[in-house]
Amino acid sequence: MRALHFTKIDYILTRKQIFMLPLLFMLALAVGIKVSEEEMALLIACSYMIFISSVFSTTVFAYCGGKNRGFLLLLPAAVKDRVAGRFLYGLSHIALLGVLCGVLMGAYRMMGFEVTGWESAAVLWELAAGIVIMTLEYLFFYLFGEGKENWQFLSNIVRVVPGMAMFFAMCHLLAGLEDSAPGTVIALDTMSVKLMQTGVIAVALSLILMAAAAVVCVKVIEKRDYA
Amino acid sequence: MELLEVKNLSKHYKGFDLKDITFSLPKGYIMGYVGANGSGKTTTLNLITGILKPGEGETYIGGLSRKEDIVAYRNKIGYVGDESFFPENFKIKHIKNIWKDFYPTFSEEKFIGFVKGWGLPENKMLKDFSRGMKVMLMFASVLSRETELLVLDEATNGLDPVMRKEILKLMQEYVMDGERSVIFSTHILSDLEQIADYIYFIHEGKTVLYDAKDELTESFLLVKGESAKIPPALKKELIGLEENAYGFEAILPSDQAALLGSAFLFEKPTIDQIVIHYIMSAGNQARTK
Amino acid sequence: MKIIISNQSELPIYAQIREQIKEQILNGQIPEGETLPSIRQLAKEVGVSVITTTRAYSELEAEGFIATMQGKGSVVLPTDNNLLREQYLLRIEEGLSTAIETAKVMGMPKEELKDIFDNLLET
Repeated sequence: MRALHFTKIDYILTRKQIFMLPLLFMLALAVGIKVSEEEMALLIACSYMIFISSVFSTTVFAYCGGKNRGFLLLLPAAVKDRVAGRFLYGLSHIALLGVLCGVLMGAYRMMGFEVTGWESAAVLWELAAGIVIMTLEYLFFYLFGEGKENWQFLSNIVRVVPGMAMFFAMCHLLAGLEDSAPGTVIALDTMSVKLMQTGVIAVALSLILMAAAAVVCVKVIEKRDYA
Repeated sequence: MELLEVKNLSKHYKGFDLKDITFSLPKGYIMGYVGANGSGKTTTLNLITGILKPGEGETYIGGLSRKEDIVAYRNKIGYVGDESFFPENFKIKHIKNIWKDFYPTFSEEKFIGFVKGWGLPENKMLKDFSRGMKVMLMFASVLSRETELLVLDEATNGLDPVMRKEILKLMQEYVMDGERSVIFSTHILSDLEQIADYIYFIHEGKTVLYDAKDELTESFLLVKGESAKIPPALKKELIGLEENAYGFEAILPSDQAALLGSAFLFEKPTIDQIVIHYIMSAGNQARTK
Repeated sequence: MKIIISNQSELPIYAQIREQIKEQILNGQIPEGETLPSIRQLAKEVGVSVITTTRAYSELEAEGFIATMQGKGSVVLPTDNNLLREQYLLRIEEGLSTAIETAKVMGMPKEELKDIFDNLLET
C-alpha cells in the first residue's frame, strides 16, 4: 500500500505532463501516417509513443533528485516501498502505453488503413523493447543518479537517446522494407501467429526483467548512506 | 525519562569525520545543537532522523531504534529544516494529500487551521513561497501530526526577528506538556539561546561542550582588558584569546577566576561568546602546530 | 505577577526570576495561598528555558517562600512565618547599612543621623 502512495507522489510531481499526453497521441497518429505513407503506420506510431513514454516515465527523477528528495527520504516507509513505488509508476506508464497502442490500432483501422496480422504482433515486440529501454533507464538513474545535482545534460541524454534511436531505427527499417525486400514481408505475414506468441512471451520476459531490476535497486539503495 | 538517546554516533566521509557523539535529551526539554558551518550539525540531525545511516553507534527515540522499526521511528519525528525540503512544484493541497496517506495521526483539520491561521497561500506553488512561508508550512505539516521529537535544522536562518520569535513560542508550546522534546541546530544562537535547556557544541565533528545551558554560562567568564597586563599563569588558562591594538577579550573557566585580580573586566558570557572563543582557540592551536 | 528579564543584568536569569517573585511576595502583590503559574507555563510566557524556571522555583521553595505540591502546583506560603521575618530583617539591615555607609562617607556625626532617622519615623 505504501508503495502505491509513493506512486501517487510521483504522479503529483509530474502532473503537468499528463496534460500533454492527448496532444502527443495525436502527434503519434500523424507521424505514423507521414513517415510510412500509409504502410506500416501503426508500427511507426507505436515506436513514437514508446519514445515519448520512455522520456515521460523518467522525468520524475529530474523532479526529485538532489535536495528535493528530503521529504521523500523522511517519510515513514522502508526503502523497498519507495523504490517499488517508483517502478510501479514506470509500470503504469507501460500499461498506458499498451492501451494507447491498442487505441492507435483501432484508429488506423477506422481510417481505413490495412493493419496486417504480423504488424499487430510486431507491436508486442516493440512494447517489449520499450520495457527493456525503460528498465535500463531506471537502473541507470537509481545506480548512478539518485541524489545527484547539476547533471541535467547527461540525464537528458539518457532519457531521450535510447527511445529516439529506436524510433528512428524503426522508421529507417520499415520505410525500406516493402521496396527492398518484399519477400521478407510475405515471410513475416506467414509466421504472424508465431510472431504473436513469441511477442507475448517477450513482453512477459521484459516485465520479469523490470521486476528483477527493481529488486537490484532496492538492494543497492539499502546499502547507501542516504536511504 | 529520556526521550532521545544518541549513543556513540560516528560517521566518516572523505575529508570529514563525525566522532563519538553521545548525549540524551529528557522528555519536555529543548536542546540547542551548536557549531560553525560544516561542523557536523546537519550530519548529526540526519543521523537522528534516520535518513543517513551511522557508521557506528545508534539513536533511540522513546527507547526505539531506527533499526528496529523505521516506520514507527519516523512517525515519532517532526522535521523542520532547510527551505528546499518540499519539491518546488508542490501546492499545499498536495502535501495534505500525501500526509493523509503516510501519517496515521495526521489531522487535516489542524493542518488547515495552521495554514489559514498563518495566511499561507493555498493556490500558489511552493516556488512562489517566501522563505518564512516555507518554514511555517513545514511547521504546519509537523504540528498537525502527533510526534514526540521536533528536529529543527537551521530552521530560523534568514528569518526576520518577528518570525524567529513566533518559532520560539512554537518550540516552547511543543514541550509545554512535558512529554515532547525539541532539538535544534544553528550557527547563531542569539534569541534561541534563552529557551534552550541544554547545549551541545561541536567543532569539526568533535564534541567541545555539552551541558545544561545555565551550567555552561556560569562555568565561564568573559574577560577583557589590556593585553600587556596578562600574567603568564592567566594566559595559560584563557581560551580563544583575541587581541587588538587596544586590548584583549577571552573566555576563562569560572574556577580560575582567582587569577584575574582586579586588573581586568569580566562578565557573564553568552553561549555565542563561549562558542566563538572556543572556535578561535581551535584555530590558534592549528596555527601553532 | 510580573517578571521582567534583563539581559544586561549581572544576575543570572533564574536569580532575576527568583528575586522578582520574592519581592512581590514580600510586598503583598502576590498574596499567600495564591498558586503560581506552572514551571512550564512561566518558561513559555517569559521565554526562558524550563531548567531556568525550575531552578528559580526550587530556590524559592528552599527559602520557604513557596511550597510545591504534586498535582497542585506551587503555592505561596503565609508571610508570617519565621523565614519571612528573617528576610524582612535582612532587608531592613541592608537599607540601614547603606544609609550608615553614606553618612560615614560624608562624616556625619551619629547624633545627626539618629535625628534624621527619628524624623523619618514620625512622618
